[in-house]
Formats: sequence, structure tokens, C-alpha cells
Amino acid sequence: MARFFDKLLNLDRRWLFLLVFLGVAVPIILPIGLPVTTTGPTRSAFEYIEALKPGDYVIISFDYGPSSAPENDPMAEGIMRQCFLKKIRVVVIVLYQLGGLQLASNSVAKVSAEFPNLKYGVDYVNLGYKDGAAAVMKRMGDDIAGAFPTDVRGTPLSQIPIMKGLRSLRQVSVVVTVATGLIGEYWITQAHQQSGVPVIVGPTAVGAPKYYAYLNAGQLVGMLGGMKGAAEYEKLLAARYPELGRFYKTTRAFTATKGMDAQTVIHFVIILFILIGNIAFMSRRAAQKKA
Amino acid sequence: MPDIGTWVAALLTLFAFSFLYKDNPLFRFTESLFAGVSLGYYVGTTLNQTLVPNLIKPLTHDFNQNWDLLVPGLLGLLLYMRYVPKTGWVARYALGIYVAYYIGLDFTRRIHGEVLPQLGRAIVPLSHLDGHTIFYSLIFAIGVFSVLIYFFFSKEQDQFTRRIARVGIWFLMVSFGAAFGFTVMGRVALLIGRLNFLILDWIYPLIGIR
Repeated sequence: MARFFDKLLNLDRRWLFLLVFLGVAVPIILPIGLPVTTTGPTRSAFEYIEALKPGDYVIISFDYGPSSAPENDPMAEGIMRQCFLKKIRVVVIVLYQLGGLQLASNSVAKVSAEFPNLKYGVDYVNLGYKDGAAAVMKRMGDDIAGAFPTDVRGTPLSQIPIMKGLRSLRQVSVVVTVATGLIGEYWITQAHQQSGVPVIVGPTAVGAPKYYAYLNAGQLVGMLGGMKGAAEYEKLLAARYPELGRFYKTTRAFTATKGMDAQTVIHFVIILFILIGNIAFMSRRAAQKKA
Repeated sequence: MPDIGTWVAALLTLFAFSFLYKDNPLFRFTESLFAGVSLGYYVGTTLNQTLVPNLIKPLTHDFNQNWDLLVPGLLGLLLYMRYVPKTGWVARYALGIYVAYYIGLDFTRRIHGEVLPQLGRAIVPLSHLDGHTIFYSLIFAIGVFSVLIYFFFSKEQDQFTRRIARVGIWFLMVSFGAAFGFTVMGRVALLIGRLNFLILDWIYPLIGIR
């Protein structure tokens, strides 16, 4: 037995990589459809947007890049779908430099194609990317057009119908920051504190723990933590809107709900690794003590 | 058949993954390509999305209304003076203003956005709360207090404060554990995204599965 544990402790870690690879690949090829349970912070975010009226303004800030797109894309797109269904006016902005603009443009194009009755510039707009997130938010608190003089296509804001009634962050019903890194924090600690605009954050799982402190202090109205949060949101959307339920069930595109199958399997594999590793370590230590 | 973009993305993904076996030239090529493309993308996006609409267009279209933009524009240019050895010192003025602006912004952000609201949450009247919330708030208060004691380095810890600090360590360990769990979930999500792309967008169309 001691030999076996010794072998395990000296196992080439590339075998573990292979097992992790299989743990992720198999559920993608053969989906299991494991259930997703919802949590308080996600429900709060969902219900807050549900309570908004048609014509209210929501800013969706794409504060992430391709490196976290599998987690963040489903959040941004889910919330956009909910807003479009409720006829809430959506203003998309980008504050993350590396790839955020491309992802925002892709998501806007993808989701708006599902709602052909909505019109660009009237029901939604993409204002594009601005450098210097904290300074941009400071300016938006007083004058959105000062920070974003044109939309992503170069059209002046004064010529865009949706922007005619919107001057500052104070008129926005909620800012949804789908974020990696620090920009999500800026929305809470600066924009929310300065202008009082409510904030929902959709952080990557890596960033999620720090946002619980803000949630606890009442500085956030809700949070979608990582891929799990996105899957919860998809579940809430599917339950409230049958058309979205059908969409999430039949779409070939990647959704967070599909990703959660692989997440669950791989967590099981990792827990198993930790248990086996610890048992092997303790057995070897016990054997050494005996010797 | 997958298009050329999918092929490039799929092969670069495999090159990046090849590092898991061992370091190799294909991985280093991908790494360098990624760094170069990222920088080029950043420069291009900042030029098109920030400098042109926020600085160049306002100055060229309506100079009288926007002449004040010359000041930040000039300060930005001054930053590049560091590449001219004789006049490199000029860049320090621009950098000084830049740093001062962000210190001012960050200072108020930290105080009003973090310290005061978090402090306010830590001091709640227990008289109006139900049993569950009181219990939760007490745990919260013990956590804050013990962790603060652990990080209090101005006085050597005695037997009493060392015990409180020990409780603080437990709270920290729980938070590190939660952070680690979330980190694993986040990293796995990235792997799911890549494998999802490789399987559904590259391999399936390649072998004719729709």
C-alpha cells in the first residue's frame, strides 16, 4: 500500500491534466443536464430588472475581455434579453481595453438579431469603448455625452433618439457591470457613491468573493457570481419567459447552463484529487514515523 | 467545413495547450503573437474610440468651443518626451499631474465608496433585528474585530490578543478557501469555453456533425 501511495505522490502531473481534460470534454460531448439552484444575489438582480418599467434606462457595461468571455458573455446576453423583452432601453458601453469592444459588438449583434422589432438608436445603442474607466465614470456622473460624444459608429449622441432624454448617470435605473478586474469595483465605489445609481455586478468567479462585502453593505442590488451566477440567471429567465425557456433549451450556442455540467463533473474530479492526495500524504507520513 | 478564422483560433488554442505537455516553440510563438496582437489592438481601439472622438474631432470640428482640450492633449504628448534623452525630464510634469488626478479620485473613492459604507455595515443596532440577523451580525462583527487585531502590528501581541488573532486567522482561512474555490471555478470556466469552441465549432463541423 505504501508503495502505491508513493507512486501516487510522484505521479506525473500531466496525467492529472489529461483527467481534467476528459472531465470537461465528456460533458460537452454528452450533456448531462444537471439541475441548477438559484441563490439570493442572483434573484435580487433578476427581480430588480423585472421591476423596471418599459422605457427605463439600463446601462450594460462590458468590462471584460475574451479571457473571461465563457463566464461573462452569458450574463451580459441574458440581461440584455430580459431588457429587450421588457422594452427597457439599453445603453451598452465598454470600459475594458483588451477585446471588450469586440465582445460587446458581438453580443449586441447576436441578441438584437433575436428581437427584429427593436431598432438601433431607439431601443438600444452601443456607445463603444473609452479609456480610463474611473475618469469616464466621474464624467458620466455629470454628463454622459461629455464622456461618450459619439456612439461606436461615430454618430454624435445628439442625433441618437434614445440618448435625447439621458444626460447623466442619475437618470439611469441600474448599471449592470459585467466585469473582470477592478472596473466592477469602480462602478460601486465611485459611480454608485457619486450619483447614487444602483449597480448590479456580474464578476468572474475569481473576482466574486470580494463583491460579497459590497453586497453585504447594501452597495449592490444583486450579483451574478461567475458561470454559476450566469446559469442561475438563465434558469430564472427560462422560468419567467417561456420563449426564453425554449431558446435556452434548443440553442446550439454556448450557454452557462450547458457549462455547469462540465463544472460539476470537474469539481467532483478535483475533490477526488484532493482527497486521494491527502490520504497518500498522510499514509506516507505515518509510514515514515513508524520507520 | 470550419472557416479559416476558426482554423487559426483552433490551432493557436492547441499551441497554447501544448505547454501543458512541455515548453516548445509553438507555445512561445503563440505567446508572443498574443502579446503583440493585444498591444496592437489596444493602441488601435484607444485611437479610434477615445483619441479621435474625444480629442481630435472636437479640436478639428469646433476649436473655439473645445480649445481647452489642448491642455490634456499636450500633457499626453509630453509623456512621450521620455524617449528623447535630453528632454526626458519634461515627461515628469505630465506624469505628476496624471498621478495627482488619480490619487485625488482614488482617495475619495476609497473613503466614500469603501471605508465608510463597510464601516457603517459593521455597526448596526441589534435592537430592531430578528434572531437570525443578530446571530449573523455578531459573527460578522467578531470576524471584523479579530482580523483587525491580527493585522495590528504596532504593539507586540500578548496572550489575550494572540488568542483573538488566532480567531482572525480562522476567518481569513475560510475567506481564502472561498476565494480558492471560486478561482478554481473561474479557471475551469475558461477551459470549458475553449473546449466548447474546439469541439462544437471546430471538430464537429470538421467531421460533419451539425
